[in-house]
Amino acid sequence: MTDYREVKNSSENSISRRELIQWTSGGLTAAALASLLSRERPLKAAQAGSEHSHLKQRAKRVIHVCLCGGLSHLDSFDYKPKLAQFHGKPLKYSERPATFFNQVGLIRKNDWDFKRRGKSGLWVSDLFPHLSQVADDLNVIKSMVADSANHTPATFQQNTGFQLNGFPVMGSWISYGLGVATEELPAYIVLPDTRGFPAGGTINWSNGFLPSQHQGVAFATKGPAIQDLFPKKEIQPEVEEQSRTLLSKLNSKDAKRFGSEDALMARMKSYELAARMQIVVPEISNLDLEPERIRELYGMMGKETHDFGRSCLMARRLLEKGVRFVQIFSGGSFGSPRINWDGHEDMRRNHNREAKRIDQPVAALIRDLKERGMLDDTLVVFTSEFGRTPFSQTSSNKVGTGRDHNMYGFSVWLAGAGLPGGIAYGETDDVGWKAIDKPVTWPDFHATVLHLLGLDHEKLTFYHNGIERRLTNVHGHVLKKFIG
Amino acid sequence: MKNRLSSGSLQQKLTLLLLALTLLGPIGWDETLFSDQPSAVPVSSQSKKKVRKGKTWWSLRALERPALPATPKDFPSPQNFLDSFVFEKLNEKNLKPSSLATPEQLLRRVYFDLIGLPPSEEELDAFLKDPTFEAYQQVVDRLLASPQYGERWARHWLDLVRFGESHGFEYNQPRNNAWPYRNWVIKAFNEDMPYDDFTRYQLAGDLLAPNDPDGVVAAAFLVAGPHNTTRPSNDKMRKTMLQDEMEDLVGTVGQGFLGLTIHCGRCHDHKFDPISQKDYYSVVSALAGVRPGDRSIPDPGQKGREAQKDIYRRQIDTANKEIQEIESKVREELLSKKKKDKPSPKTLKVPTPFLHWDFTESLKDSLYGLEVQLRNGAKRDSKGLHLDGRAAYGVSGKLPEDLGEKTLMTWVKLAHLNHRGGSSITIQTLGGNLFDAIVFGERSPKRWMAGSNSFRRTQSFGGPEESNAGGLVHMAIVYKADGTIQAYRNGVPYGKPYKTGVQRFKKNEAEFLFGLRHASVGGGKMLAGTVLKASVFNRALTQKEVAASSGKAVWFVSHPELLAALSLEQKNHIQGLKEKIKSWEASLKSIKDVQQAKVFSVRPTNPGETRVLLRGDVYSPADVVKPGGVQALVTLKSDFGLPANAQERDRRLALSQWVSSEKNPLFSRVIVNRIWLYHFGAGIVNTPSDFGANGTSPSHPKLLEALALELREQDYSLKALHRLILTSYTYRQSSLPSAKASAIDADNRLLWRMSPKRLEAEAIRDSLIYISNKMNFELGGQGYRDMRHYGHKGSNFYDPIEVDGKNGYRRTIYRFSPRGAKKTILETFDCPDPSAATPQRAVTTTPLQALALLNNGFMLKMAEDLAELLKRSSGESVERGVQKAYRLLYSRLPDHEEVELAKSFIQKNDWVAYTRVLINTNELLYVR
Repeated sequence: MTDYREVKNSSENSISRRELIQWTSGGLTAAALASLLSRERPLKAAQAGSEHSHLKQRAKRVIHVCLCGGLSHLDSFDYKPKLAQFHGKPLKYSERPATFFNQVGLIRKNDWDFKRRGKSGLWVSDLFPHLSQVADDLNVIKSMVADSANHTPATFQQNTGFQLNGFPVMGSWISYGLGVATEELPAYIVLPDTRGFPAGGTINWSNGFLPSQHQGVAFATKGPAIQDLFPKKEIQPEVEEQSRTLLSKLNSKDAKRFGSEDALMARMKSYELAARMQIVVPEISNLDLEPERIRELYGMMGKETHDFGRSCLMARRLLEKGVRFVQIFSGGSFGSPRINWDGHEDMRRNHNREAKRIDQPVAALIRDLKERGMLDDTLVVFTSEFGRTPFSQTSSNKVGTGRDHNMYGFSVWLAGAGLPGGIAYGETDDVGWKAIDKPVTWPDFHATVLHLLGLDHEKLTFYHNGIERRLTNVHGHVLKKFIG
Repeated sequence: MKNRLSSGSLQQKLTLLLLALTLLGPIGWDETLFSDQPSAVPVSSQSKKKVRKGKTWWSLRALERPALPATPKDFPSPQNFLDSFVFEKLNEKNLKPSSLATPEQLLRRVYFDLIGLPPSEEELDAFLKDPTFEAYQQVVDRLLASPQYGERWARHWLDLVRFGESHGFEYNQPRNNAWPYRNWVIKAFNEDMPYDDFTRYQLAGDLLAPNDPDGVVAAAFLVAGPHNTTRPSNDKMRKTMLQDEMEDLVGTVGQGFLGLTIHCGRCHDHKFDPISQKDYYSVVSALAGVRPGDRSIPDPGQKGREAQKDIYRRQIDTANKEIQEIESKVREELLSKKKKDKPSPKTLKVPTPFLHWDFTESLKDSLYGLEVQLRNGAKRDSKGLHLDGRAAYGVSGKLPEDLGEKTLMTWVKLAHLNHRGGSSITIQTLGGNLFDAIVFGERSPKRWMAGSNSFRRTQSFGGPEESNAGGLVHMAIVYKADGTIQAYRNGVPYGKPYKTGVQRFKKNEAEFLFGLRHASVGGGKMLAGTVLKASVFNRALTQKEVAASSGKAVWFVSHPELLAALSLEQKNHIQGLKEKIKSWEASLKSIKDVQQAKVFSVRPTNPGETRVLLRGDVYSPADVVKPGGVQALVTLKSDFGLPANAQERDRRLALSQWVSSEKNPLFSRVIVNRIWLYHFGAGIVNTPSDFGANGTSPSHPKLLEALALELREQDYSLKALHRLILTSYTYRQSSLPSAKASAIDADNRLLWRMSPKRLEAEAIRDSLIYISNKMNFELGGQGYRDMRHYGHKGSNFYDPIEVDGKNGYRRTIYRFSPRGAKKTILETFDCPDPSAATPQRAVTTTPLQALALLNNGFMLKMAEDLAELLKRSSGESVERGVQKAYRLLYSRLPDHEEVELAKSFIQKNDWVAYTRVLINTNELLYVR
């Protein structure tokens, strides 16, 4: 059975005394609820009585903007003046660069101009004019490295720490680590690109071996947001009500007959939560309830920005309701014509199109969160599975228009969670090919995200199939200097 | 609910181990003997080093027979040795077993456990009439013998081996030929295949039983997991991908059969168990040749199909002969009237062609009047059809009847012998995609060959070079129904026949060419020379018949002439026969030939030497290792006695022996624990895939030993093991909770009662379909798909759709199961994605499950079907309907209050609303 000492003793996690009383008054033991709501805290060190204590929690919730296909760091957040200088020249490295298609063309200069932005003077290119305006809130890591330059293993690694199918993703780990802050919504919600799911489908938000309440629940882009929220065939309200009453009577009789086990109590409670979900979910999906100014801010009136603006605004509304982790996908699977950031053929066309869709909405999200005072304890994460090569993807004597995958150096950024803002961390070499100063691996990145959420990545573990599993496997260092 | 994290002793142990590992110096093997109490925490904070378990870790030791404990006072008498060991532990804690479950509960429990369905009303009545132990034993035997047993228990195994029907990763292509493995597992359980054979088949079935299709099918175990089909140009990426898949495979083999986390040794020695990095790569070496792919196996149904086809063929032959006899009589009469030019009386009977062109006379065929059009400067005169070798050719009208078995024949004069690839006669589909032709000089200069699309039916006859430039040559190629192709030159065999296959051409969908190999014009496809005559036969001529035809002139009666000469009676008779032939041919056609079934399985390569990879890095190879097992398993030889570069087959055969050896104590310990777990909801070792230091200790160490020995002595019969467990007192206990016992053993590790179990996703779906009397109990086959598969941008996606009817209402185990499919109600109820092994399913309770049971289209349909059934059977009496509902869903009768509740609810609402409520009850979802 779930151990609930943690729940009772914990003073500083999400459970208030009021909430505890509220649960138990429903005739439900804390254990039953813990099993249902996953408020259990798996921090074992505290349980085992070691000197480790909970970390300070700087953020309570996360929005993850996940760019599929590989954003070019060289054209967005990693300014390399030398690229223009070396344009049309071969890359000078002793070893042959290893890329997906193995075509190493000549160096190509950045396609968008860089400027210093805001008070901080952070470099951001013209690819993201709106994000440039919130540059002072961005904390860029310019020295990311990945273990694969192949989309799916790299995407899996970005989200799970492993390159294989079937490991729990960051959102599930965080749901498991923090539990839910609301009973009315799943802790981890996914907003897929309206153009399609990423390759691999739902495996991208799989709970893996974690219990299924930690799986990402994908909101449908059409129709009711959650599958089976309402009956497939219409049922009259009075029939529904009488049915619920009968169900509750039968279940109570069953409890008398066979004893009231926690699991059975939890099942009874789950029907109450389901009923509340039926009210909350349609409400939250109704963006018409937002003032026009806000919808305008997110670009919901714009042709290109409408879809992503909708996702970003929905994300904010979900966080307000207590959802822990919202993941917004920019881009679908990898074939052509492209519907993601995979600019093999033509960087300008590809990145212009993709950036246009998300630039204004993501910037709006940051502004909006800030205005509401939510940015202080919300972490916004903006990542891509890898970056792109400084040389073009052509034969060795040409400057082509596309760039191949680059796992040796690329950029991601974080915002909110009390991070200083307007900073850049780590460096790639002169042309942005390889990270040379303070390289950051995905496990480092994950450790840092968990740390900001008050979770110690070495203690957030789950026993599966012979191994105490972690999001960070056996790796990971918190970027102490980066988070300040 | 299980949450291993909360076990205090484990926490402590692990924390200390981790602490010791990080703080203390070098690691050595701990060779200390442990006591029989494996729960002892082996590491104290004082220990300075040696934290890794030694080779004497309990699970690595040989099986040891425990003494049977005496039954404690005031305990029920044990049914078998299981109870003795369980009672002993209970007594130690001052606990007692619960009383026996009621017959209703016991029956429902054993039905769901063994076949995943509830008992029918008749079965319930029969047992309640005679609820004796003997009757119960008979129920157990009957259920074990039922095919439904395999369909239930195969699911556990498929979970464990992460059997999925798509590749996973980026493309996630469907594996359309993976399903035979699932059926094999079902069959193996049903036939009670001894577990050691079951294991060996899966590791090396293709090698152990090369002539048995099951061998290849079973070996699909090796490739059941995900496989990355993207092919980066980068060498290191490709090599790493292969090693990733090796780790996954070694993990599945090591944990699945032996509860050993061997794969933890990929980058370094195992941190907790005595498994070295070298051990890991030895096992890798044994499996290094494993690659996935489709393989052909003889289709088991083909024999029966052949027999049926022979019957039709014989009927068709007889009818054809009869027609021929009638027609040839009339022909001969007609011929004898024609006195133009007498054929030599000595010649053999010249066969009648199906089509015949005499270009020296006309462009029209003499039988159907099929006319040849001249193209690109082709000319005809009294010497024949003249072709210039550049662009000229002739093309006929459309084929008047279907043509399968056939003979092509031409009389031709080649202008010279240097052209390569022209044809004297071709039959091709309109457009030229498929064709058969008499071709000259294409593959080898100056030789004749049977030309065909992509050389599908082309091999060398090995005949001599042509030397007769300008002279008349008679060529014939015979295409037999069995695929044999034979050529004749001037009436004598040209080289040797070969067998490839026969191409059928359909009426109106094919045409004949002269001079052109196949569409379109140009290149080396043109013939230079003159075609004098050409014949087509709709059957394979014998050598004698070809010889006869090759003679001088061919004399025959045209089709219209024949028709005119037949009597009305003859015509009708022929017509009748032709209709029969048509229907036989249709039947023949409807029998689909599946000579070779495709099966997704292992396609071994020869792997060469395996090296230890330092830190797991594919670019840091170190020492060469030989194929072998894990050294710490000292009861058997880990060295397979094979060289490092041994043949793939020898490696895998040796591994299969090592894993399943009688001397391998983990082999039986692990499987008896799994079976136990599925019956009781928790294992004796509650980490069923880890019997190492990171696993939990056995709750009943002696019981585990006794069970493992029993399995071995019962020749690894799993059914015998089931019988033993199911008839025990322990299994037959009531599941009622007890505050007193809970205070001592809340998790029921000591089995003072039966733990209630939530139905698994499949059991929920199956039993609802079954209860509504809609189940399609068809065994095996390809299965059903409740999802729409579509490709989008190079990836494959699987969206749920609702299926019902005969094929949709099959047992859930036959459901197509790709990885990363969108969620259905099954996944909502903890049915795992087949990407990773699931030795034990999670049991969660979520509001999404409530929503699914209340609102999902399938559930509403089930409520309707059930309501319909109840209404029909209850007639006027609502009470009778309610009683039936309770018996079907809960295997009991309702009490008075339940009947009254139902009556008033149904009166206000309706039956469907009522059954919808019942489907949502705890009592349905839990087995007591």
